[in-house]
Amino acid sequence: MMRSDKHAEFSDQQLLENYYQDGKAEWLGILLPRYTLLLLGVCMKYLRNEEEAKDCVQQVFLKAITELNKYKVDYFKAWIYMVAKNHCLMKIRDKQGRQSVEIKDHHVQTTDELLDGNPHIEKDELLSRMSNALEHLNDEQKQCIILFYLEKRSYQEIVERTGYTLMQVKSHIQNGKRNLKIMLEKKREGENKNR
Amino acid sequence: MSDLLNILSNSNKDIDNQKLMDYLSGKLSEKERHEVEKLMADNQMMNDAVEGLQQFKDQKKLDAYVDQLQKQLNTYIQKKKERRKAKWFGTQYDVWIFISIIVVLLLMLIAYFVIRNVPPK
Repeated sequence: MMRSDKHAEFSDQQLLENYYQDGKAEWLGILLPRYTLLLLGVCMKYLRNEEEAKDCVQQVFLKAITELNKYKVDYFKAWIYMVAKNHCLMKIRDKQGRQSVEIKDHHVQTTDELLDGNPHIEKDELLSRMSNALEHLNDEQKQCIILFYLEKRSYQEIVERTGYTLMQVKSHIQNGKRNLKIMLEKKREGENKNR
Repeated sequence: MSDLLNILSNSNKDIDNQKLMDYLSGKLSEKERHEVEKLMADNQMMNDAVEGLQQFKDQKKLDAYVDQLQKQLNTYIQKKKERRKAKWFGTQYDVWIFISIIVVLLLMLIAYFVIRNVPPK
């Protein structure tokens, strides 16, 4: 049974602000444990070794304590994820003796941004564009996207229904989602150019 | 059909660790599973974390690992706090030594003038 967070009333942002105000590491002692399980999973995904993953989480914690002291971080979750990922890649690179590219956050536009950037587009219009874009996806992606987002099926159910592997289902959903966004962004860029 | 727009959302919603553990051990209903998976599809960190956690041979050990890591972190932070305190006391200690030296020097100076100004009998 996981221990519940005794300081749940504090958001991550509040804890960070408190830390920046008085410099007491105790605030980080409340914030960082919230991410132990997630970080353990992230490190395990990249390192594929239980002991190394545990060590890695410990190192990420220490790195976070040192780095947060040096500069201000606004979005803790995204930041700690990048720290963990880059730390894992560094470890892999050290092991393999090969160069690896640092991962940068890829920003994908959200519904609000797609609407904000173009006030002429109503939600209904966006919806009709989405349905249209959905038709342009390949069959696998379209099928998985419909089952997942419209029929609200779990990954396992989609696996059973379609016969794809779990990895394929996840990848069809991810790629389908990305392609839909790209199609909508392109359409929007095209309109902005014509204006 | 309006659920289509959910595809565009990049959720930053958090999931509590207990729910994640229940998901990993297959204790959730289909509806709850879908909710967790929707967060995974929206949030790369969550997705990576679940994929990584599923690779642990013994899921039951996860609790113990998390506990161990949190204890190590707490110990480190406690030590840091003590070091900070010791540093503070160290600074205070230095100030008192400095004040004591000044007081002793002043007393010596006063004694010198007193002795010098006492007329010989």
